[in-house]
Amino acid sequence: MKLEVSNLSYSFYGRKVLREISFEIGEGEFLGLMGPNGSGKTTLLRCLTRYLPEATRAILVDMKPLHTLSDREVASTFAVVPQSSSTDFPFTVKDVVLMGRIPHIRSRIASTSRKDIEVVSAAMEVTGCASFADRPFSELSGGERQRVVIARALAQAPKALLLDEPTVYLDISGQLEMMDLVRRLNQEQSLTVLAVLHDINLAARYCDRIALLSQGSLEAIGPPEEVINSDTILNVYGVDVAVRKDPFTHDVFVMPRTVRSRASRDGMRVHVLCGGGSGGPVMRQLVDSGCSLSTGVLNVLDSDYECASDLQIPIVAEVPFAQISDEANDENLKRIDEASAVVVSRFPVGPGNFKNLEAAMYALDKGKRVMVMSGGGPPSIDFIGGKADAYIKRLVEAGATLVEDVEDLIRQLAGTEAVA
Amino acid sequence: MRTGTSKADAGQGRGHSSPFFRRNPVLFIILLGVLLLVSALVSVLVGTLGPIGPGHPERISFSQAVDALFGGGGDMYVTVFWELRIPRVLLAGLVGASLACAGTAMQAVFRNPMADPFIIGVSSGAAVGASSAGLLGLTALVGVAAPALAFVCALATVMVVYKMGTVGGRVYVDTLLLSGVALAAFLGAVVSFLIYFAGEDYHQLIPWLLGSLAAARWSYVAMIAVPAVAGTVTVLLFGRELNALLLGEETAHNLGADPEFLKKIMLMTAALMTAGAVAFCGIIGFVGLIVPHMMRIVVGADHRKLIPAATLFGASFLIWADALSRTVIQGEELPVGIITALCGGPFFLYLLRRSRGTGVMS
Repeated sequence: MKLEVSNLSYSFYGRKVLREISFEIGEGEFLGLMGPNGSGKTTLLRCLTRYLPEATRAILVDMKPLHTLSDREVASTFAVVPQSSSTDFPFTVKDVVLMGRIPHIRSRIASTSRKDIEVVSAAMEVTGCASFADRPFSELSGGERQRVVIARALAQAPKALLLDEPTVYLDISGQLEMMDLVRRLNQEQSLTVLAVLHDINLAARYCDRIALLSQGSLEAIGPPEEVINSDTILNVYGVDVAVRKDPFTHDVFVMPRTVRSRASRDGMRVHVLCGGGSGGPVMRQLVDSGCSLSTGVLNVLDSDYECASDLQIPIVAEVPFAQISDEANDENLKRIDEASAVVVSRFPVGPGNFKNLEAAMYALDKGKRVMVMSGGGPPSIDFIGGKADAYIKRLVEAGATLVEDVEDLIRQLAGTEAVA
Repeated sequence: MRTGTSKADAGQGRGHSSPFFRRNPVLFIILLGVLLLVSALVSVLVGTLGPIGPGHPERISFSQAVDALFGGGGDMYVTVFWELRIPRVLLAGLVGASLACAGTAMQAVFRNPMADPFIIGVSSGAAVGASSAGLLGLTALVGVAAPALAFVCALATVMVVYKMGTVGGRVYVDTLLLSGVALAAFLGAVVSFLIYFAGEDYHQLIPWLLGSLAAARWSYVAMIAVPAVAGTVTVLLFGRELNALLLGEETAHNLGADPEFLKKIMLMTAALMTAGAVAFCGIIGFVGLIVPHMMRIVVGADHRKLIPAATLFGASFLIWADALSRTVIQGEELPVGIITALCGGPFFLYLLRRSRGTGVMS
């Protein structure tokens, strides 16, 4: 089945819920539909199923405009799996799955045909609910019910499966089972799938393409690795995320940082000397407390480098695994000149990055405030036979302040600011 | 109808075998049909002048009664059986069937097992009609004027409730339900007001308000038969769609049923069936509420089995209740609504308790 949506707009009481949405879904494709609450995802699904019948001219199913189809044809084109299903009435699982045949039974008088029963049995078999076919639907667990509803959807023999956040009420194993089942149907029966999903990582893992809606407009559409990046997620959701690739599957996944506005970064200028993963939490909390940061010198691929780039902090960078070059060091010192305080995180010191400690001494010479994170133990992680520890002692003697932890650091910095 | 897959049954290790009649609904419905015939026959023989019932100086034997049924044994017996008893039993059957079938439809439309046929204001509207007929000097329970007025007022009330619950062509069942409740309270006050001024006529109104089949006659039977039969057939034709509606209007739509059309036609049909029953026999409570419940326990929620079962059993149920109302007190006749409420109330409470374990009202 080929589905084309061109310039679909929908208004509800004068409020534009969908604005000129255009996209296509090909046969057998698995498209994820994402976006914040209220961005129009469910409305889009309802336009497709004609539950909201006003916008049907913008939708083509296999080249046929949606408004030319009968109710039964629409119901045998799209089968819908809602977030959850419940009823106060004692339907059995079989009763519920049998409802999927309604669009195919033409006569009101006819009883259920042999073919209907075969289709229903096959649907229950595929979804694994044949074993509880006679149990009351209302007594099932959330995951079992969703499987029954998928069986009902299959009994409709649809061309496409529309899922509206099918996993919201399921635990993590239920979510994966559900998505695995949908993907299996998608691949084995080349059933086209359009799924509204809230979980970005789940979507990235299962979808061929992702469509990102924002305030009723289609913000982006494409493969997960193209659509999901920290800029689009920040634009659409207003959330800072780091985007990584799963080392095993190479699926992209996001790690949320914090909800914040980037505007409030005009606080005190602080330069952070770090490395080896020691600087991440320091930089994040300093950013949250409103400081304007820079950092260096960091090797590209160092996790502090990634962290700083996620936070969009200016970085003085060095090529991977290389010693700090003179050029990089000079740039680092220039950054220190611009800063009013320097923080030395508790980072591992070796011959390659010893210059970062020397940079701290440079800062003291320039009369900058220097904070050394002690973390309660020895201030550095010394890989050069005590030379680093000795150097830190000298820094403290020359006027650097030892701080316990990040909170202590922020308190001390606030004091500095008050003096300045 | 058999939908069982043997594999599904075999795979069920938890002893969840469905009850016998749930697997054989057709047999159950046939049995209900037989029960209805037997009930009707027995009920005809029950009463002051009959072989069954409280003692009476002129008690007759079975053979005399059967003789009278075929026109023998004197004019009085023929009159009793053919002019009073038989129309009365038929009326009881038709009214019971109408209320049970309309109740099933209403519970589906409102997706609420607590709904009954009176939920959209039929009974309160009819009560205003019936009591104003008394005030207007139309003899309340004789002739066609009072039932006609009750019928018209019932439908007018339903129209008002329906209008209140409809916005932009869509029927909102929650609003509908609340409008029904509010209007029923208001019309209840109107009825009280009318009764207050009715004086002596008030006594004539009591049997109607409590629900009674005592006024049965052939013309009533003929007039009720039309909405009862047509209504039941209509509801039956929409059995599959009603099933889908119980999982929500959007789901019904997604399964190819038109929920707006479905709600409208069901409300209309149920209103006509109920209004017909109420106009002639007054407010007979609990039949439309508990009969669908009882049948759901036996055949399940599938309307294609539930509607015939509830309709047939509703007929039998009211026939028994009426037979009881004629015999329970010697020489007196209780309004049948008292009997149905006396049986229905406790049974309903039992159902409530029973459903607590599962959270399912079945």
